[in-house]
Amino acid sequence: MSRNTPVLGNVLRGVGWFGLALLLITMFLSDFLAHAPAGAEFPGIELSAPSEVHPFGTDMLGRDVLSETLHGLAETGRLAMWAAFFAIVLGGLFGAVAARLPRPLALALRGLFGILGAIPPLLLAIVIVGLTGHFFVAVAAGIGAAPLGFVRAFDRVDLHSPHADYAIATGIPGLSLLQRDLTYDFRHVLGAVVARALAAVTIIVSTASFLGFGAEPPARDLGLIIAAAKINHFTAWWTAIFPGLALILFILCARLAAGLEEGESA
Amino acid sequence: MKRFLARQVAQLMVGLFGAALFAVALSAVTEPRPRSLPAYLLAVLDRLTHLSHGDLGHSAISGLPVVAELFQHLPPTLLLLAAGAAVALAAGLPIGILFAFGSLRRAAAPIMQIVTATPVFCAGLALAFGASEILHWPVGLASRTGLAASPEEALRLAALPIATVGLAGAAAVQLALRRAATRTAAASFRGGLKRLGLSSVEIEAFYVLPQIFAGLIASAGEIALALVSAAVVAEWVFHRDGAADLFVKSVALADWNMTAVILFAVAALTIVASFLGRVLGFLLVREQMP
Amino acid sequence: MTESGPLLELAGVSLMRGGETILDRVSFRLAAGEKLVVLGEAGAGKDALLRILGGFTAHNDTISGTIRYAGGPPVAASSRHRAALRVAYLPNPLSRPLAPGSVLKQLTRVVARKLRAPFGSAREDLRLALEQLPGGVTLAMLDTTPENLDPLTQALGLLACACAQTPDLLLAHTAVADLGPRAVKLLLEALDAAQKRLGFALIFATGGLQPAARLGGRVLVLRGGRVVEEGSAERLMSGHAHAYTRRLFEALPKLKTGVPKPRGAVRGQPLLQVHNLAFGGESAGRDGLTFELRRGASLALVGEPGSGREALMRLVVGFEPAPKGCILFDAVDLNVLSPVMAARIRRRIAFITGRDDTLDPRMTLYDTVDEPLRAHLNLSSELVAGYRDTALKRVGLASHDGKRRVATLSAFDKRRLQVARAIVGAPLLVVIDEALSGLDAHAQAILREVLVDFRTNQDPTFLVVTSDFTIAQALAEDAMVFEAGKLVERGSIAHLVHAPKHDATKALIEAVTLPSLDLSPGSASD
Repeated sequence: MSRNTPVLGNVLRGVGWFGLALLLITMFLSDFLAHAPAGAEFPGIELSAPSEVHPFGTDMLGRDVLSETLHGLAETGRLAMWAAFFAIVLGGLFGAVAARLPRPLALALRGLFGILGAIPPLLLAIVIVGLTGHFFVAVAAGIGAAPLGFVRAFDRVDLHSPHADYAIATGIPGLSLLQRDLTYDFRHVLGAVVARALAAVTIIVSTASFLGFGAEPPARDLGLIIAAAKINHFTAWWTAIFPGLALILFILCARLAAGLEEGESA
Repeated sequence: MKRFLARQVAQLMVGLFGAALFAVALSAVTEPRPRSLPAYLLAVLDRLTHLSHGDLGHSAISGLPVVAELFQHLPPTLLLLAAGAAVALAAGLPIGILFAFGSLRRAAAPIMQIVTATPVFCAGLALAFGASEILHWPVGLASRTGLAASPEEALRLAALPIATVGLAGAAAVQLALRRAATRTAAASFRGGLKRLGLSSVEIEAFYVLPQIFAGLIASAGEIALALVSAAVVAEWVFHRDGAADLFVKSVALADWNMTAVILFAVAALTIVASFLGRVLGFLLVREQMP
Repeated sequence: MTESGPLLELAGVSLMRGGETILDRVSFRLAAGEKLVVLGEAGAGKDALLRILGGFTAHNDTISGTIRYAGGPPVAASSRHRAALRVAYLPNPLSRPLAPGSVLKQLTRVVARKLRAPFGSAREDLRLALEQLPGGVTLAMLDTTPENLDPLTQALGLLACACAQTPDLLLAHTAVADLGPRAVKLLLEALDAAQKRLGFALIFATGGLQPAARLGGRVLVLRGGRVVEEGSAERLMSGHAHAYTRRLFEALPKLKTGVPKPRGAVRGQPLLQVHNLAFGGESAGRDGLTFELRRGASLALVGEPGSGREALMRLVVGFEPAPKGCILFDAVDLNVLSPVMAARIRRRIAFITGRDDTLDPRMTLYDTVDEPLRAHLNLSSELVAGYRDTALKRVGLASHDGKRRVATLSAFDKRRLQVARAIVGAPLLVVIDEALSGLDAHAQAILREVLVDFRTNQDPTFLVVTSDFTIAQALAEDAMVFEAGKLVERGSIAHLVHAPKHDATKALIEAVTLPSLDLSPGSASD
C-alpha cells in the first residue's frame, strides 16, 4: 500500500462533502436561482435548444429546463434527506440497538428484516407508495432501504466478541455494551452512514419517481422530469441530460463523502 | 460442516416461509381497503383458506388467474435476468479482478465510484441514446414496438435491456470482488507464505483468488437483488413485456394479488440465490464467510 | 560453497523506514554451522535484520551497508539483492503464516519451490524430515487447514519444511514464543538436533531468554536497532555483561526449588467454593472436582494449553454453565441469579489475560478504565478521574494520552491497561490467564512486578492460569496441575516444586529449569 492513498481518500471525501454542501445551498436558494417558478410554461418556445435566454433549453411544454432542474433538485434533495433519516433510524440505528436486545426478540427482528432484505429496496418502496400514496414517498424509500441497513448494522455488532464476553463476566451490564456501540461505532461512522444512506435513497427515490411512484404532483423531482423527457430525448437531448447530470452529481457527491471504500467493508 | 448446512437450510426455509407470509398479507389488501384490523385479519384468513385449496386468486386487471399471468410474463424476465447475469459476470469479473489487487484497487476506487453513481434508468436512457444516435438501431422508448419483424431485430431490441441489467449486475459483481479482496488484503498468510519462500504471484493465484471467488459467490444474493432491481427499470424503460413490467403496472393499478405473487417470486429468487451462494462459497474454502 | 571464510559477513548494515532508523550499522560474522541468537525487545530491529537476510523487505525500506556471502565479494545490501545461499525461514505458528487450506500442500509447495523439485519428491523430502523430528507428526496429520492443527504440530511441520530445504542458513523468527514450556523445550531440542545433523547456520531472533539459554551459542543483543553486546550465552549470563544485558537476564524468572518454609493457614471467608464439578468433556462421568478458595488466598491452575485448566477456569467464572456440580462465588450460585443480580456480584471479578482482544479496541484508554466505575457506582467525574489516574500511575500508563484508542496501543500497554481496569474495580477475585504471553522478557518482568504489587496492595484472591511454574510461583501459593483434561496433582507450589510426584508436574518444572543458568550467581536457590 502506498502511503499517499489515505490522503487521496480524505481529499475526495472532503470534495464530496463540499459538493454536497454546495448542492444543499443550491437547493435552499433554488427559488432565487431559477429564472421561472416551478412548472411555469412559456408557450411558443417548446423544445427550443439551449440558448442564452434558456441555457439548458426548454421542454415540450415550454418550461425552462434550468429552472425545472433546480426545482427538481430541491425536491429530490428534500425527499432524499427525509428518506435517509428514516433509513438510518429504522435501519442502522435500530439494527445496532436490536442486536443487543434479548436474544429471541433480536433474532426474530433479524429474521423479519432479513426477509424484507430479500426484496429489492426499489420494489419494496414502490409497493409502499402504492399502498399509502404519493405523500409518503420519502418514508417509503426510507423503509425500502432500511432492511439492508438494519441487517448490516445488526451483523456488525459482534455479540460474541471476546471483549463483550469478558465485560459480561466482570459484571458490565448489557446497557453499557449498547452504549459502547452507540458512542464508538455510530459516532465514528455517522458521517459515512449519512452520506451512504443519502446516496442509496436518492437512487431509490428518483427511480421510483421515474416509474411513476414519486413526488406528490404537482411537485416534480428529477426522476419525474427525466421520465417526462424520455419521450423526446432522442430529438431534444437537453430535456433529459441536464436533470440526469444533476442527479448523478448529487449521488456522486454523497458517494464520495461516504468514502472510497464505500461498500467494501460490509 | 453439517451444522453449517443445517443452519443454512433452516434459514432458507424460514426465509421462504416469511416471504410467503408477507405475500399473503399483501394480497389480502383488496380494493376497497378493509377499514379495520379485524376486517383485515379476516381477509388474511380468507386468503389463507383459498391458498390451502391451491387458489392463488385472480388478477384484478386481466381477470386471469395470477399463476397463469405470472407464468406468461416470467420467462422473458428470467431470460433477461440470466442474460444480464452473464453480461454482469463477463464485464464485472475482469474489472473486479483487475481492481481487486494492491494499489490498483485504491487507484480504481474513485473511478468506480463515479461509474456506479449513475442510477440504472439514467444508464438505460444513455444506452438507448447511444444505440439510436451512433448505431442507428430502432429503439422503442416512446411506445411498445410490438413483435419484432426479424430475429436480428429482435436481438437488437433485446440487447439494450440486457446491457442495462448486465451493467448494473457488473457493478454489484465488482463490488463483491473488491469487498472480498479487502478482507484478504490484511490476511497474515500473505506475508507468512512470502517469507516461507513463495512468490507473490503464487500466493495470489493459489491462496488469495479462491478466497476472493468464494466471497463473490457468497454475495450471490446481493447480486441477484441488483439484477432484479435493474430488470424492473430496464423493462419499463425499453417497454419489454415481462414480470417486472407487470409488477409496476400492478402496483399502479392496485392489483395487490398480482403484486404479491410477483414479489414472492422475486424474494424467493434472491433467497435461493443467497442460500446457494453461501453454501457454494463455504464449500469452496471450507471456511464460513462472515 | 567455499569452505574458507565465514558463511555470512555483515558490514554496517542499516535499515531506514520513513525517516526512522530501524537498524543502525549492524556488523557481524557468522560461520557455517554456527548458532546466533539475536536477542531484543519488540522494536529492537530483529525483524528488520531478518527481512534483509531473507530478502523480503518492504518497498519503502531504505537499506545500506554490505553483505558477503560465503567468502564471495561484498554486495550492497538492498531490497533487490538475493542471498547467494539457500536460506530457509521458520516462523511462529501463532503468527498464522499459512493460508486456510491443507498445511501439507502449502509446505510441499514451499519445499518444491525452494529446491526447484517436483511436488512428489518435495513431499518425500518433507516426510523424511518429519521422521527425523520428535513428536510423531505424519504427513497425513498435516493434510488439514491450519485452524485444525494445534500449534505444536504446526510448528513441527514448519520445522520439517525448513529442514527439508537443507538450507545453508535458517532464519527463525520468535519461532517458539508462547507455545507452552514443554513445546518450547521440545522444539528447541529438535532444532538443536536438526542443526547438528544438517549443519546449517542458525539465526534465531527472540524476545525471550529461554531460547538464548537453551540453544547456547553466540548471542547478539539488539536494542533500538543497535548491537549492544555480542558474546557467548554463558558469558552474557554471568554477571560480566553490559548493564542492559544484565538487566534482561536478571529479569529471567527463576524457580525457587529450596525446602519450603512452613506458612500459616489462610484465614478469611471462603470466596469461591467448587463442589463436585465435572469439567472437560471426557471426564464428565468421573468424580467431580471439589476445592475452596478463601479471600486473600491464591491458586494457580498449571498445565499445558488444552490440559483442562482453561476449561476449569471458564466454568468457575461462568463463561459456560457447569454441566454437573455446584460453584458458589461469595456463597451465591451465579447461574441461578437474574442477569442484573449476577452482574452486581460479577463486578467483583476481574480478568487479566494474555489475549489482546479482551479490551474493546474502539474504546479510549480513559474510557476503558472508567467503565467499571461508571457502570456500577454513582461517582462524580472528579472521583472517577482520581481513581483512574491512581490506577494508571500504578501500572505505569499515566503518561499516555488518555484519548488514545485501545486498538493503537502496544501489546504491553494493553496488558497494563487490563491491570488498571482490574485495579479500579477493587475486585475480590482476579483471574490471571497467561497474562505474560506474547511479551518480551523486559515487559514480562515489569508486568510481573505490577501484578505482585497489585496483590500486595489490595489483597484480592488470585486465580492464575499458566503453563509456567515460575509465573505460578511468583503470583500464587497453591497450585493444581492438570494433564489431558484431569487434575493430577495439587498442593502448595513450594512443595510441588521441591518434590514433584506426578510426571506431568516434573515435566512442567523441568521445562522451566534452565541447566546452564545454574552457573550464574543470581539463580542460586534460596
